[in-house]
Amino acid sequence: MQQQALIQRGTDWFDQQGWTPFPFQLEAWQAHLDGYHGLVNAPTGSGKTYSLGIPILLEFLRDHADDPGRTDNGLRAIWITPIRALTREIQGALQRAADDLGLNWRVAIRSGDTSSSERQRLKRKPPEVLITTPESLHLLLASKRYEKYFKDLSTIVIDEWHELIGSKRGVQIELALSRLKGFLPKLKVWGISATIGNMEEAISVLMGNADHPEQYKVIRANIDKQIELETILPDTIETFPWAGHLGITLIEKIVPIIKAGQSTLIFTNTRAQCEIWYQNLLNVAPDLAGIIAMHHGSIDRELRDWVENALHQGTLKAVVCTSSLDLGVDFRPVENIIQIGSPKGVARFIQRAGRSGHQPGATSQIFFVPTHSLELLEGAALRQAIEEKALESRMPYIRSFDVLIQYLITLAVSDGFFPDQIYKEVVGTYAYRSVTPEEWKWTLHFITTGGESLYAYDEYRKVEIEEDGRYQVNSRRVAMRHRLQIGTIVGDADMQVKYVKGSRLGSIEEWFVGQLKPGDTFWFAGRSLEMVRIKDMTVQVKRSNKKKGKIPSYQGGRMPLSSQLSAFLLTKMDQIRAGQLNDIELQTLKPLLDVQTERSHIPNRSEFLIEYFTSREGHHLVFYPFDGRNVHEGMGSLLAYRLSRIQPISFSIAMNDYGFELLSDIPIPIDEGLANELFSTRNLSQDIMDSINSAELAKRAFRRIASIAGLIFMGYPGKQKKDRHVQASSQLFFDVFRDYEPNNLLYQQAYDEVMAFQLEEARLRQALERINQQKIILSKPHKATPFAFPIIVDRLRERLTSEKLEDRVQRMKLQLVKD
Amino acid sequence: MQLTTQHLQLAGADLELHPYRAIFWQQEEALLIADLHLGKVQHFRREGFPLPQDVTNTNWDKLIALLLEYRPERVYFLGDLFHSDWNAEWEEFCDLMERFPRVAFSLVLGNHDRLSDKAYSRSRMDILDEPYQVGGLLLSHHPLGEHDAAYNLAGHIHPAVRLSGGGRQRLKLPCFYFGERTGILPAFGVFTGTKVLTPKSDDQVFVVTDSAVIRAT
Repeated sequence: MQQQALIQRGTDWFDQQGWTPFPFQLEAWQAHLDGYHGLVNAPTGSGKTYSLGIPILLEFLRDHADDPGRTDNGLRAIWITPIRALTREIQGALQRAADDLGLNWRVAIRSGDTSSSERQRLKRKPPEVLITTPESLHLLLASKRYEKYFKDLSTIVIDEWHELIGSKRGVQIELALSRLKGFLPKLKVWGISATIGNMEEAISVLMGNADHPEQYKVIRANIDKQIELETILPDTIETFPWAGHLGITLIEKIVPIIKAGQSTLIFTNTRAQCEIWYQNLLNVAPDLAGIIAMHHGSIDRELRDWVENALHQGTLKAVVCTSSLDLGVDFRPVENIIQIGSPKGVARFIQRAGRSGHQPGATSQIFFVPTHSLELLEGAALRQAIEEKALESRMPYIRSFDVLIQYLITLAVSDGFFPDQIYKEVVGTYAYRSVTPEEWKWTLHFITTGGESLYAYDEYRKVEIEEDGRYQVNSRRVAMRHRLQIGTIVGDADMQVKYVKGSRLGSIEEWFVGQLKPGDTFWFAGRSLEMVRIKDMTVQVKRSNKKKGKIPSYQGGRMPLSSQLSAFLLTKMDQIRAGQLNDIELQTLKPLLDVQTERSHIPNRSEFLIEYFTSREGHHLVFYPFDGRNVHEGMGSLLAYRLSRIQPISFSIAMNDYGFELLSDIPIPIDEGLANELFSTRNLSQDIMDSINSAELAKRAFRRIASIAGLIFMGYPGKQKKDRHVQASSQLFFDVFRDYEPNNLLYQQAYDEVMAFQLEEARLRQALERINQQKIILSKPHKATPFAFPIIVDRLRERLTSEKLEDRVQRMKLQLVKD
Repeated sequence: MQLTTQHLQLAGADLELHPYRAIFWQQEEALLIADLHLGKVQHFRREGFPLPQDVTNTNWDKLIALLLEYRPERVYFLGDLFHSDWNAEWEEFCDLMERFPRVAFSLVLGNHDRLSDKAYSRSRMDILDEPYQVGGLLLSHHPLGEHDAAYNLAGHIHPAVRLSGGGRQRLKLPCFYFGERTGILPAFGVFTGTKVLTPKSDDQVFVVTDSAVIRAT
């Protein structure tokens, strides 16, 4: 069949639906049918599924023109999506098109929710299209004779690539692609991505060894949406809190917005904040009971599905949610979006705004609710950032030896692998292109001997080398444990929450459960619950009438402010100093800024402000780079380390997105520090390394690495008794590697990740260079300033010391039972 | 490295608390050690968890240093001496016992001690049921809880405490923990975790650093 006639079949089908294909869709059909790899750059809700779904079907029509209706055609296409919520919509869309085009195809889903009998069925008789997740794809690579299973594969689509690229799931995709391309030379790789700051890099990462412009096409949808931002302002700034992150004080102003619109999404930044907002909304507007709901990642899947369905049908007036509703299918009835607290990034804010206003050409309306005074600045900064389309980049992970080790064991669990062949594939990826033969040898050594030279008594068993040179896992126990642990998402230890009668509510973290006694009340999923007992690793609860109760919080990192957004914050500060109060947010802030000026100073672009003051708690030294909490964490540790070399001293370090504080129980030698190039970039990497060591940052980064590389075993799901004899914490592994095997690549990876992702070394260096150009203003206010206040009240702190442990202990007190 | 020990009198017994996480009982000339967890490294390795083998050497080094320093007549292990089924580390430990022929070795069995009787009977190790009374003290692996008998010394818990100081300083350190009727030793073994206890005001707590035992108040 001629290509034109073929594409006409697709256009005709669109006609029957009453649609017209967008130019970018036609372009994608053409490029795919011509055999290219590629990337479709289009936002959610733009028809991106059919931009690749249609040509996959048309290609089969072309190649089997004699008998297009035949059945059992083998696995033709894989569709990877990071979110399970999307799978059903994609399945529906593709199945409908396939049926209408006269194909006898099965479109199936395989995800974490898929039952084992369904998995077996999919295994025996592959569907033509398989919609799945990165983890499930690796599980398929962990099963015997996978090459045969994938032999008919012609296309693999990576949906929402912008979401995957900045995570280790992206690295998993890179590795899976390298393997599939290894035995399927004609496989077409396609990505679908929203716009991000580093689009070119995103394409290179996806293409891997096919990163040559003549092999792929980039297709842009060029769909633009208008966004209108309105900041909810306090009536008087004088009574608005200086610190805090809940934003409840403005709740009364939200209620009319909810009541006026058809349906509203309220985005909060944490699950605990989500619970608190839901509860408080019902308190101030009891008439909303029954027509509002909540949605976050720890709530049981079934409850979340119910909320999502109700949103679709327009039966809910509002849903309080977290990033759990950032992605996923569109909810047409949603008219308003409310963002509580800083969204931390421009792209995330735009994405959330885009969840409203679905009619073509409609403007998306989003309300920003500041949680403390200074956050008003962000409203103004966001508005300008949106105008200037300052989208963040998603930095890809590279050299993740934890993921590589997991992948190699995956291959060893299924059919085994030959190192020379796999090495070529692995260094063809973007993530591992710089891996040297020595590092590769270390990795092989690590999975076969545990990184040691074996001696007579050693019984190390993991991957074994067969006589033909094949690397293979022979122990069934090792294989089983490995299959259970495939994946790169490392959660904290969770426990199920269930009613005594059996229905599930979701999960809370083990450490929180540890604080509960039977009879205690806590709030979860918007309900007041009484803990009855813990049984079989589940928390059994019943409904409670008590209004007061603890709210589970979840550990896990706080998001940093992006560099895009912090750049605009600096711009706004500068405007304040120049008296250019054009934004309503800045005008509202004026009285507070006057207090700041009176007590201390407001820096302009060429100044850098440091405040030093004393309180009952000790000596506070506060810096204001406005560079986001990650950079502040790094700079805080670095400066604390440099100051601690002047004299033995211990610091606790607190930070937010605007600045950071060094707190000590003795006076801080800041004058000596400033005289000795405190902000110098000389010896920077080494000083950061040393400060990371002291501040124990790397230890925490290592936890995820150890889990992905299979060093720690979480136990079998649903089994009451954990396999205690092989359980050890990642901290212990970290300590023994540090003390006995410091050249271990996983141990070193922890430092690399802290440098690149947590402290953002590149950004830190830039910030220091900027500060070196600025004039240092060391202000000594008589008490805390509006700038300092939100930082110094934070309890979540890093610690760094140059004192001898024994000396510190002498000055400390035991924490006793409170009578 | 200069090591700092602490002296404590308890139920008539003079005890020296050593930063290697052991107690020397002067009257009995006995060394008390809890939760050594030998064999753990080999056990993990056999299951495919890549622990460096040298970890074990630290256990040997500390144990030998204590035996040479105090020249005890007897060593009481308060349970969890051996972490797993038989493996090569047990034989290494038997060799070590052979090299100290004048020292008697006794083990109060703990929950992890699941070697066969045969393994013990072929060694110089003497097996005791818990609790086992020596002089004025009652030795066990599991803390005895409420009881009227002699003061109890036990292991099992791997105790640690939290300390706090000015400028929001905080620390967690392993410790010797002496309550009203029961005292708990820190875990001796490398590659063992800790559990944080919250003391009552009458309890005596001694925190342990690499080089010192310090009374915490």
